[in-house]
Amino acid sequence: MGAAVRGLEARGLMGPRVRILDREAPLGYLLLVPLLLLLGLFLAYPFLFGIWLSVTNAQIGDNGHFVGAANYQYERSDTVFIQSFANTITYTAVTTVFKLGLGLLMALLLNQVFPAQRFVRAALLLPWIIPSVLSTLAWRWMFDPTFSVVNWVALHYLHLPSVNWLGTTSTALVSLMIVNTWRGIPFYGISFLAGLQTIPTELYEAARVDGATRFQQFRQITLPMLRPILVVVLLLSTILTFGDFTLPYVLTNCAPYNSTCVLSTWAFQIGVNGGYIGIGAAISLVLFPLLSIIVAGVLIGLRSRD
Amino acid sequence: MADIRDITDYLAKDDWSRRRFLQATGLVAATITAGPILEACGGSTGNGTSTTTAVGTIPKPRAGAKIQLLQWNSFVPAADAEIKRQAAEFSTANNVTVTIQTVSGDQLQPKTASAVEAGSGPDIIQMQYGWPHLYDTACLDLTEFVNILKAQLGTVNAVNDAFCKVGGKYLATPYCQVPNAWSFRTDYWGQAGLTDFFTTWDELASAGKALKSKSLPPIAVSLGHAYGDAITMWYPVLWDFGGREVSSDGKKVTINSKETLAAVNWAIDTFKNQYISQNTLSWLDPDNNQAYHSGLITATLNGASIYIKEVYTTATGHKYAAVTNNAGMPKGPKGLESLNLIFNHAVMKWTQEADTAKAFIAYLMQPDNYTKWLNASVGYNAGPFQKLTNADIFNTDPKLKPFVGVVATGKWPGWPAQPSKATSQSQVQFVIVDMFAKACTSGDAKGAIADAEQKLKRIYETPV
Amino acid sequence: MAATRAVIGRRKGVGKARHEIGDTLLGRTFRVYIPVLLFIFITLFPFYWMAITSIKSDSELLDHNRNPLFVIQPTLDHYVLLLTKTAFLRWSLNTAIVAVVSTAISLFCSILAGYSLARLRYKGATAIGWGVFITYLVPPTLLFLPLAFVVAQLHLFNNYLSLILTYPTFLIPFCTWLLMGYFKGIPRELEEAALVDGASRLQAMTKIVLPLALPGILSAGMFAFTLSWNEFLYSLIFMSDQAMKTIPVGVTSELIRGDEFFWGQLMAAALLGSIPVALLYSFFVDYFVAGMTAGAVKG
Repeated sequence: MGAAVRGLEARGLMGPRVRILDREAPLGYLLLVPLLLLLGLFLAYPFLFGIWLSVTNAQIGDNGHFVGAANYQYERSDTVFIQSFANTITYTAVTTVFKLGLGLLMALLLNQVFPAQRFVRAALLLPWIIPSVLSTLAWRWMFDPTFSVVNWVALHYLHLPSVNWLGTTSTALVSLMIVNTWRGIPFYGISFLAGLQTIPTELYEAARVDGATRFQQFRQITLPMLRPILVVVLLLSTILTFGDFTLPYVLTNCAPYNSTCVLSTWAFQIGVNGGYIGIGAAISLVLFPLLSIIVAGVLIGLRSRD
Repeated sequence: MADIRDITDYLAKDDWSRRRFLQATGLVAATITAGPILEACGGSTGNGTSTTTAVGTIPKPRAGAKIQLLQWNSFVPAADAEIKRQAAEFSTANNVTVTIQTVSGDQLQPKTASAVEAGSGPDIIQMQYGWPHLYDTACLDLTEFVNILKAQLGTVNAVNDAFCKVGGKYLATPYCQVPNAWSFRTDYWGQAGLTDFFTTWDELASAGKALKSKSLPPIAVSLGHAYGDAITMWYPVLWDFGGREVSSDGKKVTINSKETLAAVNWAIDTFKNQYISQNTLSWLDPDNNQAYHSGLITATLNGASIYIKEVYTTATGHKYAAVTNNAGMPKGPKGLESLNLIFNHAVMKWTQEADTAKAFIAYLMQPDNYTKWLNASVGYNAGPFQKLTNADIFNTDPKLKPFVGVVATGKWPGWPAQPSKATSQSQVQFVIVDMFAKACTSGDAKGAIADAEQKLKRIYETPV
Repeated sequence: MAATRAVIGRRKGVGKARHEIGDTLLGRTFRVYIPVLLFIFITLFPFYWMAITSIKSDSELLDHNRNPLFVIQPTLDHYVLLLTKTAFLRWSLNTAIVAVVSTAISLFCSILAGYSLARLRYKGATAIGWGVFITYLVPPTLLFLPLAFVVAQLHLFNNYLSLILTYPTFLIPFCTWLLMGYFKGIPRELEEAALVDGASRLQAMTKIVLPLALPGILSAGMFAFTLSWNEFLYSLIFMSDQAMKTIPVGVTSELIRGDEFFWGQLMAAALLGSIPVALLYSFFVDYFVAGMTAGAVKG
């Protein structure tokens, strides 16, 4: 879309009455002012300051001085950092796959007609609307090595051996992923449901006339039509999962022996509890460039199809 | 607003067995002689003798001042209630407003850190462990004030002293300790054919073995990231076998030693043979309490909270009250050390009311008030000054004695190096606990020690 | 106005019953009902567990010999204690005030910005649109420290405004993005017709575009309300007085004491604290879905 064409259109609209607020550009900028003010003060400043911290040897209560990339260098040889990095990627990748798959399934189901539909839709949203610090505590109680109801059910009804969910390195990370997936599915499900409802039923009717199977309909109609919302939800969720703090902090707080640390909890441990805020800032910003490129790429791809 | 202020007092009234509670606290009355600090704290007794000593006087509160104290919410709600009562009393007597803000134990540090970064927040903050060292730029120099308190209350406990003193200056006033000792089931002990509680780490292992052979519940201690119970167990294990994380000047990492190896091997042995519970890698501070109250473990290292809940509250129905006893720390081949949770009070630099803040701290530390608080906390807390160590509760209930005992052998994380930012960093990263946890689950002592050594070297020898 | 009706009509038309010809009850049972029940089970089991925990007495909670899935002697003690002996009601009020006002502010900013970015043409609009979305990449974990400095400089500690003004930083990006999509879906001709009739841009916006965008605004509002209702970290840092805390912070700071979790009351609080939002959704869930639609697809 040529900028020149837009400009001409805009000028055409102005017409003879030149009221400043009827001109697109001034009005456009003016309407952005509240947003820019809020985000500028409460997001941009702390963020820029955070970037600055990551290149200083600042400690809590001491602004330190510029040390270049030393913090990043320092963390490169930190085994826990490397573990946290790997955990963050695993945690995000695995939960995203499950949330995506199960969320899609949930949306397809919710799009069917069945009794008490509105109630079921609202009920399935519950994991997403409950304060996550409290639901994670409940999960901690459900995974408790002594009182786990999950183990009780497994033992008494299914005759399976007990699992020390949070107490071994492999199961603790899995537990984190289970809780994250449980909490995240509803948002995927509802967003996809919204997408499904925009697909005109005629498309399916036409496909059925052509003899397409349900799976073919799903592949040929549903998925392509869902693509825009799929990409955006995926993007949003990936970013939020990368930065997830409350859940890993409350459920395991890095135990057993730092095996379940993710970047956010490791940054918190070093930067807040240990006071090395410069290093903490470096840890929490390490994914920023990578994520920015991915997000920019996806958004550009999305817009160009628009 | 008033009803909100005292919401936390409820357990003091409802949940606590009133009779035992009165028994514990009622004895305070006559035994306390009003200390000279009384006068400085607003003359609530009308005892007007001026006590200008060589070391100076405690500042007077400024009428109309408003101050806030941020602290954790004690396990014993009655102790918090007592602090709030004293704050109200002090406020009325001096025409000031003292507000006590409480958060849970692990919320205290993010709140403190953000207050320090913001340069604004509560006037007094309760400092856990080595925080005066971490937040040295934000704490007022209280040397003169602490010297006055010392003159009146006697010598300071070495651990409180080490944490409060940064570069020769007191950046906090010694406040209290939460002693950690063993609570155990005497009935199971007998059933396992054991008579005395273990006094060495090897005896712990054989006690665990005896319990296991009779299929009795195990001894269990956190091997996870519990800011209290895990570090109070595993640092002493390391020390008692002669292991040290760093040299006494805090510059050379000394973890890789045959002493450490002995400690770690002891842990692996005990863990692998199930002489201690293997379920504890995710345990936080409340988990051993819960397990004990439900009868699933025989012994654990903890603050007095388990004992208090069994004996002094109705919540558990006094289920194991008669069969619960306490014991001190065992010793190892190279010594007997202990580690307790430490709290001190820092007056923050941003306060406009430093004098009122100091006067209030002095008021809390006044033997009369302090002992009331100690008694209200039924043995959960211990005093940091010589004259504040002898609360009646420890005499009326001899089973609480072990909690007094562990104070004397107390050390701090990083010992024998003085507390510093580095020792704090090593502590919050759970380096020592993780070393034991990793060794116990992998069985590879040398690997776990090498891993800890690498982490400690980053902290002590090559910081950024 | 005919076009308006057409737009709304189209929205109502979609998502209608999708019974297929030849669909048997047995087929539907396996294809729909059983999977739905499974989803309900997985989703709601933790809530069942919270509910059952909240009505067990303390001694029953720690009794590992009994079946934990059922309660022998149900008690409302935890609820009574929570409501009468903690400031839970006050925390609920605080949470509601903060959530409502921060949602309103976020919507205000997002509506203006979304309209501006979606319907007005000027230099930099696209870049700003991306910029707003990319703010989600800012990791919140450590930024609360510099943010605490800003809040302190403005003397907002322990003040509703500290949360009301900071929550929009994580609400606005999503709301703006959702509304941008929604505004784009509203035919330009409607607005241009109004402009030709002599309405100002602002009038066209408030009288023509906003009413049509109502489902989108409602969705964005519910999204924002949910997130601010549940926020934990900022609330922990910026609020200090017992009487100023929000539910997640008040509950955890009061009911986790030293080495004890008050499970019964914690779970009671978790349930009670979710009810207002759950009610909101049970009434508006279909609007929420409908509102997400246009925004998402056009996004």
